[in-house]
Amino acid sequence: MSYKKTTIEKLWKIKGFTPNDSQREAILHTDGPLFLTAGPGSGKTRVLLWRTLNLLVFHDVKPEEIFLSTFTEKASLQLKDGLRTLLGIVTNETGRPFDISKMSLGTVHSICQSLITDRRFSQGGSRKHAPILMDALSQYFKIYNKKFWEELWTAGGFKDEESAHNAITKYLVDKEINSRHVAVTECMGLFNRFSEEHINPDSIKTSDASLKALVKMYQHYINSLQINAYTKEVDFSLLQQDAFTTVESFPNSGKVFKHLIIDEYQDTNAIQEKLYFSLAKGSKNICVVGDDDQALYRFRGATVENLVEFENRCKQSLGVKPKRIDLDINYRSRKNIVDLYTHFIVQTDWKNPKKKGSHFRVHDKVIKAHSSDVKPSVVVSAKDKAENVYAEIAQFVMDLKPTGKIKDYNQCAFLFPSMKFRGAINTRVAGFQQAFEALGIPVYAPRAGSFVEVDEARAIFGLFLKIFDRPHYGNTGSQNLIKFRDWMIGCMRYADDLIKQDKLLKEYVEDRKNDVETALADYNMLLALVKKKKWNQKDPFKFAMIRDFAEVPKLSPKAKKNLTNSYFRKVIEIKERENKPYSIDYVINRTTSLDWTVLDLFYQLNGFRHFRDMYLLAEDGTDEGPICNLGLLSQYLSRFMDQYGTLLTASFMSEEKFVRVFFASYVYALYRLGESEYEDADDPFPKGRVPFLTIHQSKGLEFPVVVLGAVYKGEKPADKKEVIVRHLLNKEGEPLDRISHFDNMRMFYVGLSRAQNLLVLPRFTHAFAATDIFKDIFENYPLQTIADIDLKHLPVAEDAQQDLGKSYSYTSDYLLYNKCPRNYMIFKKYGFVPSRSQTMLFGSLVHQTIEDLHHLLIYERKNAAV
Amino acid sequence: MMTDQEIEKRLEEIFAQNYELLKMEGGHALTEAGQKDALNQVLYYYRKLKEIATKVTDTEVKLTLPDQKTPEGRNFTIEGIVDIVREEDEVWMYDIKTHDPFYVMANKHLYEKQLNVYAYIWENLRGNPLDHTAVISTVIPDALKEAESIGDTARVQKELTKWEPVIEIPYNEDNVKDTVHDFALVVDNIEKHCFTPPPVKVLDEKIYGTNSKFATRICRNCDARFSCGSYREYATKLQKGGTMNFKKYYEDYGTDAEQEEFINASINLDKINITPELPQ
Repeated sequence: MSYKKTTIEKLWKIKGFTPNDSQREAILHTDGPLFLTAGPGSGKTRVLLWRTLNLLVFHDVKPEEIFLSTFTEKASLQLKDGLRTLLGIVTNETGRPFDISKMSLGTVHSICQSLITDRRFSQGGSRKHAPILMDALSQYFKIYNKKFWEELWTAGGFKDEESAHNAITKYLVDKEINSRHVAVTECMGLFNRFSEEHINPDSIKTSDASLKALVKMYQHYINSLQINAYTKEVDFSLLQQDAFTTVESFPNSGKVFKHLIIDEYQDTNAIQEKLYFSLAKGSKNICVVGDDDQALYRFRGATVENLVEFENRCKQSLGVKPKRIDLDINYRSRKNIVDLYTHFIVQTDWKNPKKKGSHFRVHDKVIKAHSSDVKPSVVVSAKDKAENVYAEIAQFVMDLKPTGKIKDYNQCAFLFPSMKFRGAINTRVAGFQQAFEALGIPVYAPRAGSFVEVDEARAIFGLFLKIFDRPHYGNTGSQNLIKFRDWMIGCMRYADDLIKQDKLLKEYVEDRKNDVETALADYNMLLALVKKKKWNQKDPFKFAMIRDFAEVPKLSPKAKKNLTNSYFRKVIEIKERENKPYSIDYVINRTTSLDWTVLDLFYQLNGFRHFRDMYLLAEDGTDEGPICNLGLLSQYLSRFMDQYGTLLTASFMSEEKFVRVFFASYVYALYRLGESEYEDADDPFPKGRVPFLTIHQSKGLEFPVVVLGAVYKGEKPADKKEVIVRHLLNKEGEPLDRISHFDNMRMFYVGLSRAQNLLVLPRFTHAFAATDIFKDIFENYPLQTIADIDLKHLPVAEDAQQDLGKSYSYTSDYLLYNKCPRNYMIFKKYGFVPSRSQTMLFGSLVHQTIEDLHHLLIYERKNAAV
Repeated sequence: MMTDQEIEKRLEEIFAQNYELLKMEGGHALTEAGQKDALNQVLYYYRKLKEIATKVTDTEVKLTLPDQKTPEGRNFTIEGIVDIVREEDEVWMYDIKTHDPFYVMANKHLYEKQLNVYAYIWENLRGNPLDHTAVISTVIPDALKEAESIGDTARVQKELTKWEPVIEIPYNEDNVKDTVHDFALVVDNIEKHCFTPPPVKVLDEKIYGTNSKFATRICRNCDARFSCGSYREYATKLQKGGTMNFKKYYEDYGTDAEQEEFINASINLDKINITPELPQ
């Protein structure tokens, strides 16, 4: 088939895109390694899109020959959608169809998952078994599990749990803390780092006793993941290692991809670098894109050196020096903002003292503003004590709205270096939050403090506690436990208030409490029967026993009904006939189980006024904050059911078992893990609220107005993991005593460069007011104050959407929305996990498995033909 | 060649892996009952439609209609997925659905709209031949499900023969334009955050061609019904008796059989009989 011709220039014209010189050069570059430095707001996404399109359309690279990795799911979705839209235009112009579903486009994790099973990396083209992936929370629960943890510290040669905790924490955080939680969290971090550095525990030679113990524990951890010959579990770090091993062990792996494009290269880790170079061995077409000044993820094992030293490392690994192109024109921010952050980043010395002429930064790039709007766009508060600064800035935000310069409070973001300090909400966050509360403006800060502290979580957990009662652990000296108990009691008080205001809720809670009590009473009666009859619980349940069970005096009508309904009788009969009878234990559990699960309870509670109002706010888009939190809660509840079973049986609820597992173990873990595990920002942010987020969460985002909530962050000694890895691998890098300082510089740089129209900085008078560099800027750099700024010149904020065009599925968007827009909102948009109803996940699961069946059958047919 | 048993065993493995992957990707989970139901749909698809399954030439073909614009100026792309069977003399396009066959039969016009758009993309944009389009409904009929759950093999066989999951959809290109326009309106509504439920009047009406009301068929299968204004109004005002039957409205876990099935699939003694520890 022949297609009509077109040119990329023609396509640019159709899309109204006029690339600048370096953008054009980057898009049209096709041969050899490419090093793209991309400053904030420099049109990187567009360049990636058009560059990929150029390869596909004008250089006949097949989609499956392209590897394009992004940092977040969201970014990959955006690229996918954008690419489909652009390719659609090509199809319309030329008649040539494109299908990019086989392109390796996604986060590094998702691509690693498909690489492992990719037939192109295996001899004979067979498909390998995919490992089961544990996310960070599952990994934590696995290691935290008392039994497994005991195995681990035993493997490490510790004599008891306490000495293990003390030794591990002493070694990794330089302080003896007898806490399993802390020890587990630290070990997890170290294990992941080992995996990411591709360290083989067998080959480690060290005389350090503590390190030796940890390496043995790591070895044991890895061994424990192999479930049987075919199945193994991996965590996120081992997944990447697994992908690398797959690629390395296959001789032709360097030729599978003709082009690799890696976005956010500054936040890649050691194993990823190895993987990328390995995949690029054959073609040498590796394009890395990133900005070292925006490197943020060292705490997850990322090494900014991958980017800073890319030119040399590429030469070493592939034998070719990459071409470097700087995307250095900023299209996002007004000129004063760009001037400020480019000034900011050079206020420290980045020179490498050991190597003359070299820097710990790509120091010779020059970021320029495209905007010629030189009107003031960076303002500072009056220099005052904290409360007054909070109040002044909150009032300023409030005043912005009636001017029309922002359309919604969600266009004004507050960015903080962190939202928490030692488990409690950060002072600055709390201060600004109170200032907004005083003005009646809601904020959206789901990650401030622990998730379990948000109003919605407290209400739901409080009502759960009213129904199931709370676990009791008597006298304890543990501050953490006391705090957690106080949290539970606080939630129950909150629930009491809600119950007081809603008669029906009161009645409902009473009914559910009765359900629990009835089930427990039935359970005890049935146990007594078994004892009296001298049966063993493990014995088979015989049809004739139905009568004995059902005739226990005082057994509840519900249990009686469970035991005598025709369905049950039939099942027992068949089971007995087939000689596969249920055990007595099974029948007792079944008879005394509640009709509802924790998730059912959640959805039913949502029907009461307090929660109903939250849904109403979301239905017309007024305020999405509460419903986002409710959605998250449903996910946590579902995860609990996954791990501990769906059904609430009386035996599970007896002796406080359920409440201990649910509250004292599961919710307590959520309570302590807090924000660090969940960094993904919701975007767009809920309407009607001022978003409060960490600078990390703001990565890749932009806002018309940005307020930096704090301009201070303390510097810490180098992370022990870094010290260990450098020692083990004999690696060099940024001086250990400067790492924290460099990281803080980059973090603030990211924060400052998120602002489009206006950047607001607080000037506090008291302790921890500002870093030295910010202090210097406040004193010597020309800035306007909030009081003096003339809002007349402030541009009107544009809608957040970057309209690359989105894809909508006929079935899972259009049909679903048409069936019920509200159902679509809840389950599709906010990701509620349904309890009973069929879901999209259900459909996808069936479809995907049928697809695999078809593949299998097609493969079988081909084999048979041969 | 693999035997049917081997294929089914392999299917169960693939299913388990897919579930883990999808759960990880979406952060969602299914109840054990849901997982079991989904697995059964796949297994019965193979048992019933082996003829078609073994002839599929292109699976999960992604069809896209790109570069569309909504009335309010948003760019969007329509996506759909189908399976194709190319034989020497004819080409079939199958859309596999987890909707039940009665509903599909009754609402054929809806499926017609959808498959017409897909057929249009396949034939006109891609330039491929096409002779028939059909929906395959993977929902297992209740009678078959029941036979399966009590393990009555003879009845399973009988019900399997009775089951008709393939529903041919007439192929007619005319309404593609209207469908795409309607699609565009939905895109605008989604982006504008319009998510109010259908009014109570709709809930009280029978779904076209079926014998059940919207409230029974759609809402009762929706976990979010308790917090829904429309359903609440329906359940408390329109039901017989006139006054609010609060308990009945809440204590609604489906029929006895449904509840039994739920318990059957969910009970997991290993998980229940754990000995929890006190937190340290």
